[in-house]
Amino acid sequence: MKKTEIPLSENLGHGHLACAGCGAAVGMRMTLKALGEKTVMVFPASCWSIIPGFWPYSSFRMTAVHAGFVTGGATASGVRAALDIRGDHEVLVAVWAGDGGTFDIGLQSLSGAAERNEDFIYICNDNEGYMNTGTQQSSATPWLAWTTTTPVQRPKENPKKDIMAIMADHRIPYAATATIAYPEDFFRKIEKAKRIRGTRFIHLLSPCPPGWKIPSELSIKISRLAVRSRVFPLYEIENGRSYTLQEESHAVPIKEYLKLQGRFSHLTEQEIERIQERVDDEWRHLLRKARC
Amino acid sequence: MKKVITGNQAVAYGVILSRVDLVSAYPITPQTTIVEELSELIASGRLKTKFLKVESEHSAMAALIGASTGGVRCFTATSSHGLAYMHEMLHWASGARLPIVMVNVNRALGPPWNIWSDQSDSLSQRDTGWVQLYCENNQEVLDTILQAYRIAESVKLPVMVVLDAFVLSHTSEAVEIPTMEEVDKFLPPYCPEYSIDTQEPMAFSVIATPEHFFEFRYKIQKAMEQVPGVAKKVDDEFRSMFGRGYGAIERYGEEGAEVLLMTSGTVTSTSRIVIQKLVQKGYSVAGIKIKRFRPFPSEEIYEAIRGAKKLAIIDRNLSAGVGGIFCQELRAALYPKETKPQIFGFISGLGGRDITPNLIEEAVQYTFEHSQPEEEILWLGLKR
Amino acid sequence: MISISLGDMEWNKTGAWRTQRPFYENKTPPCNVACPAGNDIVGFIQKITQDDFEGAWHLIKEENPFPGICGRVCFHPCESKCNRGNFDEPIAIHALERFVADSAASLPKKIEKIPKEREEKIAIIGSGPAGMSCAYHLAKLHYEVTVFESLPSAGGVLRMGIPAYRLPKDVLDGEISYIEALGVEIRPDISIGEKIKIEELKDYQAIFIATGAHRSRGLNIPGEKRGTFGGLDLLKRINRDGKVKIGERVAIIGGGNTAIDVARSVIRLGKKATILYRRSKEEMPAFEDEIVEALEEGVKIRYLVNPIRIQQKESLKRLECLRMELGEKDESGRRGPVPVPNSNFFIDTDTAIVAVGEEIETSFLPRGIGKREGIVLTQIDGRTDVKGIFAGGDLASNQRTVAHAIGSGKKAALAIDCYLKGKDTEEAIRQILIGDGPSISIFRHLHPEERPMNPHVVTFEELNMDYFEPSKRRRESKGLVKARIKGFGEVTSTFTESIALEEAERCFSCGTCNECENCYIFCPDASILKRDEILAHQVDYDFCKGCGICFIECPRRAISLEEEAR
Repeated sequence: MKKTEIPLSENLGHGHLACAGCGAAVGMRMTLKALGEKTVMVFPASCWSIIPGFWPYSSFRMTAVHAGFVTGGATASGVRAALDIRGDHEVLVAVWAGDGGTFDIGLQSLSGAAERNEDFIYICNDNEGYMNTGTQQSSATPWLAWTTTTPVQRPKENPKKDIMAIMADHRIPYAATATIAYPEDFFRKIEKAKRIRGTRFIHLLSPCPPGWKIPSELSIKISRLAVRSRVFPLYEIENGRSYTLQEESHAVPIKEYLKLQGRFSHLTEQEIERIQERVDDEWRHLLRKARC
Repeated sequence: MKKVITGNQAVAYGVILSRVDLVSAYPITPQTTIVEELSELIASGRLKTKFLKVESEHSAMAALIGASTGGVRCFTATSSHGLAYMHEMLHWASGARLPIVMVNVNRALGPPWNIWSDQSDSLSQRDTGWVQLYCENNQEVLDTILQAYRIAESVKLPVMVVLDAFVLSHTSEAVEIPTMEEVDKFLPPYCPEYSIDTQEPMAFSVIATPEHFFEFRYKIQKAMEQVPGVAKKVDDEFRSMFGRGYGAIERYGEEGAEVLLMTSGTVTSTSRIVIQKLVQKGYSVAGIKIKRFRPFPSEEIYEAIRGAKKLAIIDRNLSAGVGGIFCQELRAALYPKETKPQIFGFISGLGGRDITPNLIEEAVQYTFEHSQPEEEILWLGLKR
Repeated sequence: MISISLGDMEWNKTGAWRTQRPFYENKTPPCNVACPAGNDIVGFIQKITQDDFEGAWHLIKEENPFPGICGRVCFHPCESKCNRGNFDEPIAIHALERFVADSAASLPKKIEKIPKEREEKIAIIGSGPAGMSCAYHLAKLHYEVTVFESLPSAGGVLRMGIPAYRLPKDVLDGEISYIEALGVEIRPDISIGEKIKIEELKDYQAIFIATGAHRSRGLNIPGEKRGTFGGLDLLKRINRDGKVKIGERVAIIGGGNTAIDVARSVIRLGKKATILYRRSKEEMPAFEDEIVEALEEGVKIRYLVNPIRIQQKESLKRLECLRMELGEKDESGRRGPVPVPNSNFFIDTDTAIVAVGEEIETSFLPRGIGKREGIVLTQIDGRTDVKGIFAGGDLASNQRTVAHAIGSGKKAALAIDCYLKGKDTEEAIRQILIGDGPSISIFRHLHPEERPMNPHVVTFEELNMDYFEPSKRRRESKGLVKARIKGFGEVTSTFTESIALEEAERCFSCGTCNECENCYIFCPDASILKRDEILAHQVDYDFCKGCGICFIECPRRAISLEEEAR
């Protein structure tokens, strides 16, 4: 898709309060363009409780329903039910939740909704931590990363939860990873998701300059390196079983990705090696799943 | 049409007659038969209501918040731990000014684990901005649900309808069930002022700074202050249409009684009999049933207690550290008034222990025998 | 009162947050700097990608009247500096220039004579690339120009020195007649110094001498005068007569383009050609492509051979040669040839041709013109020691390329214009240097406000390679050797339109926005405004937070970042 085919409507608008260089702002802007105006977006508590602005203003230019932190899946289920009751089957229901509201506190609600195959597109904006509250760890925080609750002396002990595997095991019709450095890929996936009924899950990686301790101008570059270093491969899972892995022709060692981020600056050479081993292992695991 | 049905069945009828669009609930004893009843009716096609199964009570309320924002009439039912789990969302529903109606079957909160009648669950939610209406019998349950939607949709606050576990929920009584046509005349369809409309996009429940939040809360208080007037209007209308009315409170018995026994829920039914008996024995006693707990009917109570010297109030709940909650609210309501009868706060029946006629009689006699209570909290029926 | 939103956030001008600000600023691409003729290479390649071949042609013509010629014969120093060369292979810029010229040639054109607005008349001596370039630019500056050419047809070395299989006559004629159609007068068959003395050109307020270098340099060895003739002379005769009398076996002494041209012409005349070069292959100054094609066509090259005497042996020429070996680097930067003692051997041949360089003719030059080391001395702008007389091209430089000649003609035109208007030429030149120079853009002289371009030259490190995939450089197709050597038809073919577009798409467009839209897509604050006009992106400073994403993600460094003024 040529880039000039991206829809021109700015459903996010500007004047919003995102940090300069916020990866989620890039992601949200793209998402809202892709979803279109006939969308109701449920957004449980996250940075986006603040970013669109304070009452009586909101920079969202389409219908948005702010919901409790826990409740992304549930609130969206209710909205969908109401729209269906009103006979409004055209309007799309979407959820935009952070990694906290997806991997941790919101997992139950999402799981319940996925089990029911609720008809919405759920986008998990993953910045790998509770960034709105000041960078505390979540179960999406990568192994050995610094956060305020995993300080340098004792960085994150456990690996990142594999949310895609969890969602796949719910046998939802469509799940995909995406990140902001690959806009055409992201748009394609949203378009594909729009044509499917049932629970559709997009795991969107969005770098966070203050939380990842990166300069604001590198958000795109780092998200690209996440894919190239295979720490965040791009792939789709259909019906929980059928994997489509996207080829990445520019594979780089994990060091290239880690060295740009302050939250990894405490790592020793051995730790980086061990991270590389884990990344390689996860990649092989993913390849096996893709081949079955 | 009169039918002999349980309290839970009466709830189901209330939901059907109210033309509820969406029910979302999670099972918990003793609410389960409500959900079961509704599921069967919906599955059989006899009820157009949509049922959204969810995986927890918190999600049930969240789903209804989403749906109510979407402009449809919603309902849920729960009890005890389910209600407690929902607590965060109860605040959200009232903050978002959504007219959701919920039935709570009063059941104790554990540990120790206990499934029987106790008002602590609903009352511990008294600060969440929900109107709370308590029911004495199954007829009242059905009728209150119909009235609840009128009140909720008028003042834009959610309403909780409360009934006792097992004593009402699973006990059959004769209930007059109105027809759909009759109810339609009483309860029009839900027409929200603001709801999801992609043609007029807006963001709901956005963040408000200290600059503005205060006024939002002020408005909720103002809405609560409208409830007595609205509820009376609704009740009067109901009375004229269906021949039954309840008021915020009901004073029964003779005028000018010295002692007034105040109860809520099914304890009231037992109290009526006990008071009759005591009057025959010569006691100057009458009764007040408190139906509406929130907003607390201070004015109505003040009116009703004229001339009484002592008030005996029985709480089937405990706010540890302060005592019975109805008692606490009563004290607060009467404090500004000039005439303040002596208040005897009794706690009884926690965790479903029977509040027998003997216990109630004991409480009234104690009240007569003492000029003031010997203790802050008078434990009725406690095994020492 | 519900907490629903009642308005948007457009009132919140987040531009106030900025500590740095991005802005669109075109910068100089290295190819533009390297081009001696001053072509806007990125500019014309962009126009190709926009399907605007005519626009591309007009763009080139602003600076250089000879795209068809340069596209064929230029040594393309631009390609050596092309940043794409650091990634995979440089862009085939010469082929694209040729494509543009050939596309335009097929378009019907009405060429308007440029009206003379100036009183002054300028005489140009020599109608080679330098002279014609100067005439072209002076005509566009509204001067009356007369070009004196000693030979019957215009073109200089382009006609006489470069064989038709490299530069077809119709291409040459087309580009020269374009200049004539603008109003330039060419007077052939007039040799200044013979027919007219240069001192007699009093009607002209300025004179540009660009007579080139046409005298074949000799080897200064015994037997040379009778036994050999000059390579340039041979080429001249072939050009004029279509044929020349030479023996079966031809030995060509030399290693430059002339030697190669002679050898390949000999092949086409059905004879055998052997080049004798005194250094090795690496030091040969001829263009790489030419050498390859020559070898394909059957030219033999013998390296490290130097003739020291030529003897006539009946009908044969016997060349006594010495083997050479490479010694230290000399002033040309190449390892010098050192004779191997007692390595004498003989080569017999029917014809011997000397093509070891050309020298300038100076006899006709007026007194006072300074000369040194085989060239006429000039200032940077072409001024000689004599007021009102300017010189350029091979006459005044050792660069000896068509592109340099074209560039020097343009510079001289500017210098003459400044001279006649009493303006400071050096200042004028300084204003219009491309990058650090030495090439100039005359468009910028005439329209200083338009097409601003920061003189900073974009380096490879400043580009963002994340947006490019390796892609092979497209090659012009060559005729089969058998067919090629049958005559003097053009050896290579122009790109087709689709190939030209493919190759043009490979261009990084260093320093110049080409609307890839990365900035627009990646801006978190929707603060890049697209406009309907092309190449007119703008930053919305009301909302731009200065994050710098657009700066980093611009593949071609067309955005600059500066500190926000407080």
